[in-house]
Amino acid sequence: MAASEHIVGRGIGNKLILLSVVLVAVIWMLPIAWTLLLSLKPNSELMISTASAFHPPYTLKNYTDIFQSSGVFRWLWNSAVVSVGVTAGILILSSLAGYGFARAEFKGRDIIFVLVLLGLAVPEQAVIIARHQMFSDLKMHNTYPAIILPGLSSAFGVFLMTQYFKAIPKDIDEAAMLDNASRFKIFWKVLLPLTVPAQATLGIFSFLGAWNDYLWPLISATKPEMFTITVGMASTQTNFAQSEGLGFLMAQAIFAGLPVFIVYLFFQKYIVRAVAGAAIN
Amino acid sequence: MSSIELDSVSKRFGSVEVISELSLTIHSGEFIAFLGPSGCGKSTLLRMIAGLETVNGGEIRIGGERVDHLPPGARGVAMVFQHYALYPHMTVFDNLAFGLKNIGTPHDEIARRIEEAARILEIGHLLQRKPGQLSGGQRQRVAIGRALVKDPKAYLFDEPLSNLDAALRVRTRVELARLHQQTRATTIFVTHDQVEAMTLASRIVVMNARKVEQVGTPMDIYGRPATEFVARFVGSPAMNFLPVTIRDRAGLATAVLGDGSTIDTAVPLDILPTGDLRVGIRAEAIHVRPDGAVPGKVEVVERLGDRTHLHIRLMDGNTLVAEDKGVSQVQPGDTVPLAVEGATAHLFDDAGLAYHARQ
Repeated sequence: MAASEHIVGRGIGNKLILLSVVLVAVIWMLPIAWTLLLSLKPNSELMISTASAFHPPYTLKNYTDIFQSSGVFRWLWNSAVVSVGVTAGILILSSLAGYGFARAEFKGRDIIFVLVLLGLAVPEQAVIIARHQMFSDLKMHNTYPAIILPGLSSAFGVFLMTQYFKAIPKDIDEAAMLDNASRFKIFWKVLLPLTVPAQATLGIFSFLGAWNDYLWPLISATKPEMFTITVGMASTQTNFAQSEGLGFLMAQAIFAGLPVFIVYLFFQKYIVRAVAGAAIN
Repeated sequence: MSSIELDSVSKRFGSVEVISELSLTIHSGEFIAFLGPSGCGKSTLLRMIAGLETVNGGEIRIGGERVDHLPPGARGVAMVFQHYALYPHMTVFDNLAFGLKNIGTPHDEIARRIEEAARILEIGHLLQRKPGQLSGGQRQRVAIGRALVKDPKAYLFDEPLSNLDAALRVRTRVELARLHQQTRATTIFVTHDQVEAMTLASRIVVMNARKVEQVGTPMDIYGRPATEFVARFVGSPAMNFLPVTIRDRAGLATAVLGDGSTIDTAVPLDILPTGDLRVGIRAEAIHVRPDGAVPGKVEVVERLGDRTHLHIRLMDGNTLVAEDKGVSQVQPGDTVPLAVEGATAHLFDDAGLAYHARQ
């Protein structure tokens, strides 16, 4: 009797948790739903009242306008180049550094590792003027390398990969050494494939971070053809109240978010694992 | 197959010397076990031979060639790790092939060797699986297979059975013995399990506190332990030790227990040192018999089926373990007369050195 009461109690508890989770999800989705609704409304109607978004007529004109008139495609391409470049660079550098910190024995290793970790404590804003000056001196602004390079110094990536390499039993390296594998081969053929889950986590965070980055592309890319999607979208906002072209702006927002949405669909498993892992650790 | 010679090898971790000027020759085709408790240096010694630990002094030769300066892969040895150390992302076939590919073995030769190893180890049906899809026993076979395909000069096993359950451990032990009989390969087997060492090895190196206590055949180690440590570590239950005084019996030592009862040993009196001595007797040399001269009170009865172990407190307060038949009628609380086979008894001095009957 007591046991069945306990089970019933647990069932109610689970339902309450589910209800609260659904509630939070709905609250979180409201702005996105609102953006989607606004993007489907003619701009002229929205100028009178945004409440018109709740009833027809709806239109895809704002989306077709994206294809015809704006620089969204160019910005999307720029964002893709920057995000892929940053992600690839972070994965390569963090893997190599992580392997080095986890496996190589050299003087000052631990001190250097701590210095790398201190990078986590330095906000981008603190160094942005110096960085701007440096790229300006190098005459690199308005180029892909200028937007990509600062993003490659990922203290988090180095930390994550170091911890992951450390977690791989050294027996595996030693077995490969006895199997006549060179150091590079042990890294490339044996250890690196074992870090795929960490690479996926780091890759997703890096890609999303680079895609959504706003401050540095805003400073470095001053020519519209070098804007990333975030900077480009902001540039189309003619005034704060956005009394004109609100539907078009919302359509751009939805369109710009699609690649991230697609990435999420494909890598959902890894993203959930990465966030859960970050929460646990 | 090749012999392995260790010539005054030493190993230090920082200021701690874990192996000190150790010399040992392992003959070609021999199955030798390094036996000892955790931290005694046995795995370190094995890893030094494998090349996974540097050597701070001395020389290691395999097949007459000095190897202590060579990297692990160039020493021609294969190692089976305690935790298998299989490559998790590779199939069993690729695990076996990896080492052969690295030394440029032709594909058809790789396939032939893997097929042969798979046949011997009965893992042919597992070749396309990954280690994560295998049971512990299957992983162990693959790990052994990875060593087998390399046709090495010597096999090094680092506690390879310790992760298996009891039944599988016994089965794998028998398979290893069978495998060695087939291959006649020089083999070093590190273990803390004296049963594994006794059953598998042709010679055992007993190590304690980073030094070698005794090297000998299993029956040497069991029957004539060089030190008290060896006597305690090898054999289950452990050897009984009782403080005694010595009385002359025509040149042989008679051990007198605290309660005045005596054990006639075959240890010559003239080899014994002065000072305190203890007599060492294995449980199977102590029986409950009506004519027994040593009385004791039974405290615990352990029934093992084929035999019974009796934990007994003697009249002088010391305790020992005696052996009785499987269907023992003895109950806890009984006072029983014990007969001790003095001929198999040993004497030990203060420093733990053993004194035996002449052979």
